[in-house]
Amino acid sequence: MVDSKQQWKAWLYLAPAIILLLIFTVWPIINTVRMAFINGFDFSYIAENTKDEKIISIGIRNFADVIRNPFFTNALKNTLILCVLTVPLSTFLALLIAVCLNSIKPLQKLLQTIFFLPYVTNSIAIGMVFAAMFNIVGNVVGNDIHGPLINNPGIINYVLEFLGFDRINWMNNGSSYWANIWVMVIYIVWNALPFKILILLGGLQSVNKQYYDAAKVDSTPKWRVFTKITVPLLSPMLAYVIITGFIGGFKEYSSIVGVFGDILMGPPHDPGRLNTVVGMIYDYIEKRNFGIASAGALILFVIILIVTFINLWVSKKKVHY
Amino acid sequence: MKIVFEILTKIFPSRNKKSGEEVVAVNDFSFTIPDGKLIGLLGPSGCGKSTTLYMISGLQKPTGGKIFFGDDDVTELTTEKRGVGLVFQNYALYPHMTVKQNILFPLQNLRGADKLPKKEMLERAHYVAKLVQIDELMERKPSELSGGQQQRVAIARALVKMPRVLLLDEPLSNLDARLRLQTREEIRRIQRETGITTIFVTHDQEEAMSISDMIVVMKLGVVQQIGKPQDVYDDPTNLFVAKFLGTPPVNVFNGTVKDGKLYIGEDAVLDVKGVSDQDVYVGIRPEGFIVDENGPFHCNLRSVEVMGRDVSVVSDNPAMQSAVIRSIVDADNKIDATAQTISYTLKPHKVFVFNKETEERIYFEV
Amino acid sequence: MTDQKNIAVMHSKNLNTEKVKGKAGKIIGKIIVYAFLILMAIIVVFPFYWMIISSLKSLPEYKLPNPTFWPKQIMLSNYINAFNTASLGKLFVNTMIVGIVSTILSLVITVLSAFAFARLEFKGRDTLFAALLATMMIPGELFTITNYITVYQFGWMKTYTVLIVPFLVSVFYIYLLRQNFLQIPNELYLAAKVDGTSDIKYLWKVMIPLALPTIISITILKMMGAWNSYIWPRLVANDENHRLITNGLRTAFETTVAGEVDYPLQMAAVAIVSFPLFLVFVFLRKYIMKGVSRSGIKG
Repeated sequence: MVDSKQQWKAWLYLAPAIILLLIFTVWPIINTVRMAFINGFDFSYIAENTKDEKIISIGIRNFADVIRNPFFTNALKNTLILCVLTVPLSTFLALLIAVCLNSIKPLQKLLQTIFFLPYVTNSIAIGMVFAAMFNIVGNVVGNDIHGPLINNPGIINYVLEFLGFDRINWMNNGSSYWANIWVMVIYIVWNALPFKILILLGGLQSVNKQYYDAAKVDSTPKWRVFTKITVPLLSPMLAYVIITGFIGGFKEYSSIVGVFGDILMGPPHDPGRLNTVVGMIYDYIEKRNFGIASAGALILFVIILIVTFINLWVSKKKVHY
Repeated sequence: MKIVFEILTKIFPSRNKKSGEEVVAVNDFSFTIPDGKLIGLLGPSGCGKSTTLYMISGLQKPTGGKIFFGDDDVTELTTEKRGVGLVFQNYALYPHMTVKQNILFPLQNLRGADKLPKKEMLERAHYVAKLVQIDELMERKPSELSGGQQQRVAIARALVKMPRVLLLDEPLSNLDARLRLQTREEIRRIQRETGITTIFVTHDQEEAMSISDMIVVMKLGVVQQIGKPQDVYDDPTNLFVAKFLGTPPVNVFNGTVKDGKLYIGEDAVLDVKGVSDQDVYVGIRPEGFIVDENGPFHCNLRSVEVMGRDVSVVSDNPAMQSAVIRSIVDADNKIDATAQTISYTLKPHKVFVFNKETEERIYFEV
Repeated sequence: MTDQKNIAVMHSKNLNTEKVKGKAGKIIGKIIVYAFLILMAIIVVFPFYWMIISSLKSLPEYKLPNPTFWPKQIMLSNYINAFNTASLGKLFVNTMIVGIVSTILSLVITVLSAFAFARLEFKGRDTLFAALLATMMIPGELFTITNYITVYQFGWMKTYTVLIVPFLVSVFYIYLLRQNFLQIPNELYLAAKVDGTSDIKYLWKVMIPLALPTIISITILKMMGAWNSYIWPRLVANDENHRLITNGLRTAFETTVAGEVDYPLQMAAVAIVSFPLFLVFVFLRKYIMKGVSRSGIKG
């Protein structure tokens, strides 16, 4: 039996949360869908003096505008490339590090702490550090990265030259698209490692040690223990890390702001080149093209939904329990 | 494969770093396990029996001493190279593999000259699956099996590579009572059919007695007695072994030996020639009592429980060590359950006398 | 069984050579593992190292053809200049106001809601909770658009309110705390009721102390959220009076097409912004790791 006094009390306790959620979570879900389907919904639809005169026409013009916008398709391409490169790379590296960490005793705690360090950082601030590391100090004129106006090639290039490679124009004037992408990939992977290592190491440590003893008794070679026992037993955590990795990847934005700056979003000679879907949505909001922004957000939501379902579908086949 | 232990010792560093006390799990362990037999390692928990098993498997390294398989010294050999089969207490079946994949797994690990063609692997897997009667379940996952079935799969996985020694860690502890009876017969049968030297660990004396060719009784890392189950039961070397084996357990009394007679309280219950005068413990098996009106041993009768073939008589005596005295006598005895007292004559070969200090057996001439 | 004998023979050959090989292999394996981990650890730590030493160099030293790995002359003045250039003082105060107020309010709301979901019985409780969890799947960008319009219509643009109120409720924190509350035996609540303890007193005296680690985790994550937030503040309150620290940092050192960047100064500013986070990491790491790994388990 539910006593009515408790009912009343419960709703009282929940009231602040529910009121705020209604205004800032529930209403936006409805309103964003509504705006997306009102053709050309912009600031004039909400401004006091013009809103009543507006003729509301319903349609999919916002979606068409988004998809036809070459900046948006470029942003979508950037987002996809970053996802496809960073998620497998960071997952694989994190798995390798977690397995290695799990296999050692001395220094384990210290190394584990070090690997968690990037989690507690400000992605804009550390993005600026990465920019400083990849940046060629001085003025790159044309495409000449050995030119007279260059003071030094930056620490990353310095290490490359020390190892016998040629320097690369990572992000300065005249840098190539793929060099820019690799700067972002390196930064994003660096940033994504701690969370993944933490989850995977937690998973490894909760695997019953007896499976490894059993494998030992059966003379199982090391690599076979890894592929046939460790990875399958870890598959729920791997699936989780990959799914959240993709979701995070599709929402990539502030790491690029950190490295390239929110005005440029690309190298100096080609601003906006590295913009992402989320970046585009914010640009639309700032220009107060709310209808188009909503359409873009819905497209992003659908993409994330599809990718998540594909992931879940694959992991259902591969995750073993 | 005969297994020889030579002065084997295992010392664990203390868990409590401050006190620095070491734990001696196995101390000065020397004996030989004959080839092709089923051996039960028996003792209360913490007696070092699992440690002994893990040292045979190589998962734990002895602190001192040597282990031989036949004539090979395997002490320094890692687990991988020992060729043993081990069934874990909770089976350790890989949860993501089917029964068949679990059984095939050890064979797929073989490399180089030992590598088997796929067909032979399957044949072997089916052979052992049949042997443990799970050939119907090959495509299931462990989570879809009952405890008894999982146990069989674990045994099959241990057997499939034809190990030199099969080790079972508390094989019956996770099964319910009915399955336990059935499975222990099954282990006996499988061991007979394969002829592989099999060692299993248990804390249940009945389990060990019923199926072992030989039992090893351990206490606090020290072997107490080794022998055929019946021999150990009939002829325990000390009070611990006498108490540990047998249900209902042996009845223990404070006694005194004086002038070649054994006294329990005021009663001179038995002639014990050749034993010097001293205080002793007396152990009497439940079946060592004969109800006899004129018997020398007088007890207060508490109750009589009729169990069909036998009668269990519960009585007490001021000199007893346990809570009650339980004796098992033939149902032909007519016992007056309302009587206050009962008198017994004792069967001399069911009476054991132990030194009060060392608890070692004192032998006497019957 | 003859099979068994063959295998016994097979096992006994070459035992001695295998012993030696096994040991050497193990040591080499360990060396590779440690080398890999230490190399990765260096890569992970390097950006922090580079940030700190760069922040202590003079601009001419930073521009030397061969980079120095330790500053020749330690320029602490970079920190003072950076502090003034980016007016970090004002940014810091703004961020603390927003962080502290939103953390306290958020905790109150979260604790009350989690208590209601964990301990009180009311109609539709489970349905409502499931609905809340479902909203966690929707990307935040979808809310931002409408929220932008809402706060504009409320007239909240360029106020502290706009930085605090829209994100007070976090379904994830409610979930986290509810799970923690559920672990506290219900008998304690009933016993308190029998003794005539009020709900609020019980919450304050029993539930909160028992769930303190989770509450600390939430507090740290919320404060870090304010410290690191960038996107929403840029949209709604990117003015001198209300700007938060991350926005201020990015704006003060915006890379431009032609302009030359004073990297030591910039790195000093970055180091100042990173320093509180570093303290949090050193002293409160355990709580963050617990919060993060718990979010892992739920997936």
